[in-house]
This record gives sequence, structure tokens and C-alpha cells, in this order.
Amino acid sequence: MHGVCCMIDVCDLKTYYSRGFLHRTSVRAVDGVSFGIEKGETLGLVGESGCGKTTLGRSLLRLIEPTSGRVIFDGTDIMALSRRDLRRFRPRMQMIFQDAYASLNPRMRIRESIAEPLRIHGLENRAGIGRRVRDLIEMVGLNEEHLNRRPYELSGGQNQRVVLARVLAMEPEFIVADEPTAGLDVSVQAQILTLFRDLGRDYHTACLYISHDLGVVRAMSDRVAIMLKGRIVELGPTTDVLDHPCHSYTRRLVAAPGADRGFSRPAPCPAPSGSPAMVEVQSGHWVEAAAW
Amino acid sequence: MRMDDPLLCVRGLKVGFPTADGVVKASNIVDLTIRAGETLALLGETGSGKTVLGMAILRLLQPNTRIEGEILYRGRDLLSLPQEEMQKVRGREIAVVLQNSGTSLNPVLRVGDQIAEAITLHRGLKGAEAEAAAVELLDQVRITDPARMAREYPHRFSGGMRERALIALALACNPSFLIADEPTRGLDAVTKREILNLFSEVNRGRSVLFITHDIEAAASLAARVAVMYAGEIIEIGPVDAVLSSPAHPYTRGLLESLPAKGMRPIPGSAPSLIAPPPGCRFFPRCSCGAGRCEIEHPGLVEVGPGHYARCMLYD
Amino acid sequence: MPGRNTALYLSLGVVLAYCGVALSAPVIAPFDPFVISGPPLAPPDATHLLGTNDLSQDIFSRLIWGTRATMVLGFLGAVVSVVMGTAVGIVAGYYGGRVDEAVMRFLDVMMTIPFFPLLLVLTIFFRPGIYVTAVIMGLLGGLGSVRIIRSQVLSLAVADFVVGTKALGARDGYIMARHILPNVLPLVGVKFVTSAQHFMLVGIGLGFLGMGDPNVVDWGQMIERASKNGGIVLGLWWWLIPPGLAVTVISLALAWFAYACEERINPRFQVMRV
Repeated sequence: MHGVCCMIDVCDLKTYYSRGFLHRTSVRAVDGVSFGIEKGETLGLVGESGCGKTTLGRSLLRLIEPTSGRVIFDGTDIMALSRRDLRRFRPRMQMIFQDAYASLNPRMRIRESIAEPLRIHGLENRAGIGRRVRDLIEMVGLNEEHLNRRPYELSGGQNQRVVLARVLAMEPEFIVADEPTAGLDVSVQAQILTLFRDLGRDYHTACLYISHDLGVVRAMSDRVAIMLKGRIVELGPTTDVLDHPCHSYTRRLVAAPGADRGFSRPAPCPAPSGSPAMVEVQSGHWVEAAAW
Repeated sequence: MRMDDPLLCVRGLKVGFPTADGVVKASNIVDLTIRAGETLALLGETGSGKTVLGMAILRLLQPNTRIEGEILYRGRDLLSLPQEEMQKVRGREIAVVLQNSGTSLNPVLRVGDQIAEAITLHRGLKGAEAEAAAVELLDQVRITDPARMAREYPHRFSGGMRERALIALALACNPSFLIADEPTRGLDAVTKREILNLFSEVNRGRSVLFITHDIEAAASLAARVAVMYAGEIIEIGPVDAVLSSPAHPYTRGLLESLPAKGMRPIPGSAPSLIAPPPGCRFFPRCSCGAGRCEIEHPGLVEVGPGHYARCMLYD
Repeated sequence: MPGRNTALYLSLGVVLAYCGVALSAPVIAPFDPFVISGPPLAPPDATHLLGTNDLSQDIFSRLIWGTRATMVLGFLGAVVSVVMGTAVGIVAGYYGGRVDEAVMRFLDVMMTIPFFPLLLVLTIFFRPGIYVTAVIMGLLGGLGSVRIIRSQVLSLAVADFVVGTKALGARDGYIMARHILPNVLPLVGVKFVTSAQHFMLVGIGLGFLGMGDPNVVDWGQMIERASKNGGIVLGLWWWLIPPGLAVTVISLALAWFAYACEERINPRFQVMRV
């Protein structure tokens, strides 16, 4: 289902929460998800609120501990790592959250926030840190005067740039971006996304781009996965999936206004086979066989 | 009042917020009219002044705000009405669907009670009758199992359901004029579609001022759209004309920054409203600006039937 | 109503003055507080500014020396209380789960035991000096602040910036010290001042009940001695009133200081959304 030399290989990942004190119920936030992402590729992850995409993103980085499954990052199963070994792995895989303002310590100046990853991992000495911070802040389109400010003095878009600088300080190989432009104005979103895309290309970062906005996903991702109730129901090259959706849910998503124009007749899809396994409809385009 | 007289007419509105750093000139509106039954979308980004305009109509701004100008509703200037008169207008004649934030509904009151409160206030129904009317409203906004949901607290409502409840609250007294502040913010694509459909259904025949930053939402609901930038209306006209052949460079830039249309960002950021640029407020970011634009402040110029733009290019 | 700035400087001035007096007691007190220095129950005059007590000790000197006990009990107690409360609160709130459960249950039990009676019992049994008393007060009193700090930490621990720093690969200890603690400091600061105030008053109470160290001069003791040995009956206001007045003034100063700091403590940001 995915190439041999994947950067990230996710195998049957499950994250279940248990709720309730006396009457324990299990919430299957991520219910058996498998996919791969190649080096330099961006995989979009689309779904409604509550489908589990945020949990999936966090589970991949073990910010939430998954219940079972494997995540093989460049040959190593990070699920099997001890906490100490995992911590050493962290600089290579990073996350960008939705609310930029909440992602930064309100009491720290921008300069300190960006320098922090460099300090934690001892990547540079004092003089080197100063230089790197200046380079990073310019790379994300801000200038030195912003370094002395605090997050509440900057706008949402500017804060998100700072977050990008902080994350890029470690030159990660994999980034999970969880709706980084939700709540930002259209023109600011365009600025942030263009920056993100350009930097991603320069660094060849693999990326999982989580969003509910199909227009953004279409512009940012090479392939896209559609998520519903904890499972991936369709996966394939972006234009394929969005222009010729096979799964009924994907069709419903694509038909929403403000999603995409350019939805044409669905490609002929083979008959369902009964088990919820994925069926390859076209080369690289997989659909959950259960119900479409 | 004749049939085709505007329902609402804003003239020369200037709103300023005094702060420690100076007066924030949030609004500089020359003229805006809305007719009976018409939906006008007020399109703008954060800091454009659109919410301020909406709140100013109902005089819901902070007490130390400086307001100048006229807001004529059915011929009466709302800005000069005494408080008791204004209270009769709020809710009954003009209602607001506030932004769907964590505190748009009182977290410690049941949703049904909050809607019933509006009903009791303006329609005079009490007790069980008000409750029944509240349940009916929740049903009108397509909340499933309205009787049960009316007895629930807001935290049990999802984002989309809360939006519906807010719409129900605003419609409690069947106002002639509705101001909706960003009803689709933060909702995912499917829920957004449902809310927009619901919105156009329940507001047939009503005048609506639809404040939003979402271009697609404006396109699907409104007949006319006014684009705001840095506190001013910089383009206004029929929605098809403005969105398919935008006249003002900002509108064009906004449309081009949509992911579907190429995602080309507009360089720079919005100006400070404490000391806005003297000439055209968009000049610092405009790719076609000329020397005139920096000094002279452009007025609204007609660029098509009913279509106006505030730009030196057309003057 | 004076502005917050006057309140801040005035109250801070009073607190510092008291500390100054406590530190320089040996120098500024005219007499040794335990030595017989004149006729007993003498009214105030040039040598004995506040007269003498029933044991012929100079009251003014005793008042000055008594500042030490009060300051130690108040501030040392507050330091212990705040350090303990913050450390436990942060660890419980950050790790959650079993650690948190254990701490909370322990707290539930401890909080049912009333503070002052427990303190009294411990003092009677162990007869500690003022330093140990201060520590005991701090430990018992700090329990209350654990809950408050823990609640704040609970919401901080799931804030994106903390999760983000975890994602960077920082150790827990680093996160707690560098990110959680600074954001909890405002609460801690306020708690420190109110605890100091509280413990000073409790200290006076202990002294009044005779539970204090007899080798240390303390105001509570002075008040008790004065009222028991005829201070009220004989109208010896210079014996009875000064200690009470002294503790009232410092107590008010601390309260005022906390009030003045309130505004500075909250990050003053006003973001306008139009």
C-alpha cells in the first residue's frame, strides 16, 4: 500500500480513551489507521470535527500514548522506544498546533521561545544561538524588533510564524501541522501557507497536514487521506480523491460549498467486498470497501 | 415611509476607542444602506471594523466609545434614542446573532431558559408558554430532539448546535432586521454548509447584515456585498459583480489569496488604526499605487451599475 | 482612595521598616529586654519610652525585640508554606494520574484537621523554638495552597505550549521549572504575602496562650502578661496597647501590599478585536 522506503510508516495505530468512573466506556478516537508518508511528501488528513484527526496527529508523535500499533520512523519503531530514547528522537519530528498564541509561553519573549529548542538539545553555544535565532526570525518573514516582544503583542499570523521558526530550529524531518491556519484571515493564511510550503520544500520535510478545509488541503498536499470516526476511508493523490471521490463520505465532503469547484462525475468503482479492508481503486487510490 | 426606502441607513459613522496609546479609529463609514428583505454581506478581515459597525447599530459598544454620525432605522436615528427606546428596538426590531464564542451563551443557564428569557422579554409570554415557544424555535433551527436539548446546558452543545441556538435566540421575536456576526467561524465544511442553508431558509424576507470573513459564505447568502478594510468600505456592489470582477486592488488580492485561486498572499499587514495613513489606507500594500494615492483620500466611485470602489484608479 | 502606587510604596516601606527594626534590635533597643532596668510598672518617661512592666523590664526594648519573633514566624512560615505548596501543587498537577490522586487524598484527610488546634497540640507536646514553630506552621498552612496551585497547573499542563515543549524533547523537570513555575508565580506571590500575614497573627495567638518560647520576647506574650497582671484594671495603656498596635499595623501593611501588587501581577494586555 505504500512505498518501500517510506519516512513514516504507520501500521494499525489505535488510540482508545476510556471514560467514566463507574461505568467505563471506551472512545475509539483512532481505530486502526495505516498509511505511509515519503520523505518530502505532504499527506493531507481531512475529516469533520471529532473524527479523530487531532488525536491521530498527536498519537504519531506519542504526545498522546496510543493503545496499540506501530509507527516506524526512518526504520525505528518509536512506539517501542523508552522515554529517554524517545526524547532524543523528538527533534526529528515536530508538531505545529492550531492556536499559535497558546503554543507560546506568554511570559517568554519571542527570542527565548525560538532559542529554547536549541538550548534544550545543546545544538549551539551562546554565540551560535544568537545567530541562529536571527536567521530563523528572518526566514519566517519577521524582523529583529519582534524578538523582544511577547506573544500577546503579536497578531495570530505573526505568532504562527514564530512557532514555525521554533520548530524549524531543529530542522525536523517530519512535521505534523494541526490546522495551523484555522481562525486566521484569508490573506494571512495565504502568507503562512506559502511560507510553510516553501520552507517544507527547502528542507524536504515530510508532513502530515491536518485540516477540515478542502481548499487548503488541495493546495498543500500531494496525497490526501479522508478520516471518518477514527478510520481512514479513502486515500490517494489529492486531485484524484477530490475530483473523483469514491467513498460516499468523501463525496459528501467534496460537495459542500466552499470546498472545491471542479468535482466531476465519479470514476467507476468496483463492488463492495464485505470486510472493511482497503481496496485499490486506481493506482495509489485506496478506498475502504465497506460502504460506498 | 415608501416601500423601497432603505430600512437601515448609516451616514457619516465614525467610531473611536480611546486607549492608552491614542484613539483607535475603528470605523470611518460614509454611507451604507440596506433595503427591506435584502441581505448585505459585510466582508472583511480582523481589524477591518466590521464587527464594530454591527455592534454600533445596536449601540452595544463600550460606554467610553466616541461615536459620530447617524444610523437611521425606519427613519429614526438610533444614535439619539434614549435608553428605554433603544431597549425596545433591540431584540424586537433588530436582533443580533453574536459570535459563537465560549461565552456567547450563559454557561450556567439551560439553553431553553435563555431563549425563553428573550421570548418573555419581548413577546410577553411567561412560564410554560415561553418554554414551549423556545422548544419550537429550537425545532425551527433543526436541532434534533429540541425538547430534550432545551433542558441541556450549553457545554453539551457542539459548535454547530450552539450556532443554531444563537440563531434561535435572535429570531425569538421575529425581528425585521438581523445582524449576524460571523455565524460560520470555526465550523468545519459540512457543518458550515448546513448552517448556511438553515440561515437562508429562516431569514426569507428579512433584512440581514451578514458580517463575515468567509468569502464563500458571503457569496452564497448575500445579494450585495460591502468589502471593508481598515475601518472603511472600499468596495460595495452586487455580490456577483464584486466577487467575479473586483474593482479594488484589495478585493482582488483577497480573492487571489484563496487556496482555490492560487493562494497568492497580499504583502504586508493591515495599518494601525491609531494613526492610519493619510491618503488611501491600502496604498502601502497596493501593487498599483501611484503618487496621488499616498496623499489624497479616495472617495467611492461608481465602476458599474450599483457597484462602487474607493480607489484612485477610477477617479 | 490613594492610587495603587502610593499603596505599594507605603506598605512596602512599613514592611521594610519592621524588618529593619527586627534586624537591628540589639543596636536600637535601649535596654536588654530581660534585665531589670528601673522601677516596676513605671509610666513612660525619658529613659523608658513606654514605661516598665511588672518585672521591671523596659517595654520599649521588649517591643523592639519582639519584632524578631513576629517577622521570623511570619516570613519563614510563609516561605516554607509557599515552597511546599508550590512544589507539591506543581508535581501533582503536572503528572496527574496516580500521583495526583495520592496527593489529593492525603490532602483531603489533612484538611479535615483544623489548623490552629493541631498547631497548638504540636507546640504543647514538642515545645519547639520559634524557627521550628515557623516551619510547622508553614507545612500545615501550605496544604491549603496546594489545591489552588494544582488547579492552575492542571490547566497549564495541557496548554499547547507545554505540550509543544514536551514535543521539543524537554525533560519534565525543565518544563516544570521553566514553563509551569513562572506562570504560577503570581498566585504564589499573593499566597506568600497573605500567609505571612496569617502566620504573624497566629504567632501572636500562640504567644498569648503561653505556647511560645519563654526565652524569646514576643508580642503575644506581652499582651497576655499585661492583661493578666492588671494592665487593664490599672489602666496601664503603655503596656497593653503597643504590642497589639504593632501587629495590627504590620498586618494591615501586608494586606495593603497584596492589594497594591494585584494589578501588577496580571499581565496587562489589551488586545482590541474590531
